[in-house]
Amino acid sequence: MIRVKNLYKSFDGRTVLDNISVEFESGKTNLIIGQSGSGKTVLLKCIVGLHEIDKGEIWYEDVLFNKLNFTDKKEIRKEMGMLFQGSALFDSLTVEQNVRFPLDMFTEKTYEEKTDRVNFCLNRVNILNSNNLFPSELSGGMRKRVAIARAISLNPKYLFCDEPNSGLDPITAILIDALIKELTEEYSMTTIVNTHDMNSVMENGEKILFISDGVKCWEGNKNEILNSDCEKLNDFVFANSLAKKLRSLR
Amino acid sequence: MYYKQTIRELMYLGFNSVAIIAIISFFMGAVVALQTVYNTENPLYPKYLVGLGTRDSMILEFSSSVAALILAGKVGSSIASEIGTMRVTEQIDALEIMGVNSASYLILPKLIATVLFNPFLTLISIIVGIFGGYLASTVFGTMTPEDFIYGIQYAFIPFYITYSLVKTLVFAFIITTVSAFQGYYVSGGSLEVGRASTKAVVFSCLLILLFNVIITQLMLS
Repeated sequence: MIRVKNLYKSFDGRTVLDNISVEFESGKTNLIIGQSGSGKTVLLKCIVGLHEIDKGEIWYEDVLFNKLNFTDKKEIRKEMGMLFQGSALFDSLTVEQNVRFPLDMFTEKTYEEKTDRVNFCLNRVNILNSNNLFPSELSGGMRKRVAIARAISLNPKYLFCDEPNSGLDPITAILIDALIKELTEEYSMTTIVNTHDMNSVMENGEKILFISDGVKCWEGNKNEILNSDCEKLNDFVFANSLAKKLRSLR
Repeated sequence: MYYKQTIRELMYLGFNSVAIIAIISFFMGAVVALQTVYNTENPLYPKYLVGLGTRDSMILEFSSSVAALILAGKVGSSIASEIGTMRVTEQIDALEIMGVNSASYLILPKLIATVLFNPFLTLISIIVGIFGGYLASTVFGTMTPEDFIYGIQYAFIPFYITYSLVKTLVFAFIITTVSAFQGYYVSGGSLEVGRASTKAVVFSCLLILLFNVIITQLMLS
């Protein structure tokens, strides 16, 4: 479980996150939704420690993460996996080397054991016979899947995904969402996904946090989202004309 | 992992620079020798001065300082753009998330590689440059090979090699750290990566020129 308490973050005097408090549950796919520029990515980066926060607390189980020093943070980071918006695969490494990287850095396994683990992770995300390809030779969807394989290679307790289906066609996006959900349930991870894709929200939204202009506006799940009284949330959810028509028919 | 990375950087930043350094040194040595031949036609000047002049020009300035300026362009821009691209494509964030000290992982192997290998580049440059001077002055000039060889042996001061290698070490450190700094702290997109690369070359060159004066004053005064 990850808890965020009264989190504030600003850049050059401009407040980006304003008093955010939320609890992300274990074994569930937790979504952070909001418009572009609403502060979703900054919130995610604060939670994983890539941005220092101005005020507030970030708890991983019973550990106050934001007060830890670099060495102690490193221990928790070994339990994290993250899927970045652009996949962030290492350009100079092959698919296999990318997935092997965390294993080389943090485990004492033999070469064969690592290879087995790499192949297992790649099979799990349905990447077959591509071990020796470089990231530039992969499609967007494949890159995302390799990035997921790398993220789960150390069996993380926490999985963070920043817009996992951005830039993908709807079918591949659904496949990626389904994969994230399956892995979350399979490994009982605490997964936090940043998205503004309503398909993801309706498929995976076991716990949803909606933020607008850096302020928490609504919290709930996919069953409650369509019946919310929050005006900003409704503007976001029913943004396109088809959704508006469906809403008027209800 | 650091060992593998250092070997990779030795190949990429070191071995890959041998050809460019050798080619430039060869022609610079040749030109220095020819300039000396054509500007010392006075019969009072001994012929061996051409060999001596070429040797000292290569050892004292060209193979350390001018080669460092060339490497600032080649290696410096490569380091800044590689690390800068990793920054803007979130690859550095990915390293941080894994608990890897990204600065240490990315920069230390490059620093070790350049500090270890650049002295060899300097030595290669000296040898190839003097050979270029020998060929040019004996083929196009009016010199005998014996005069040139006597010149490169005449009044040789071994400390000049030490001086040249010390400068090379300092310049290698400057090129790598300045370029890595520019790349590591890039924010934005590809335009900023290009700017960082340019800044890396400009600042490295300026620092090389400044430290060239400082080291020369400290070691040769």
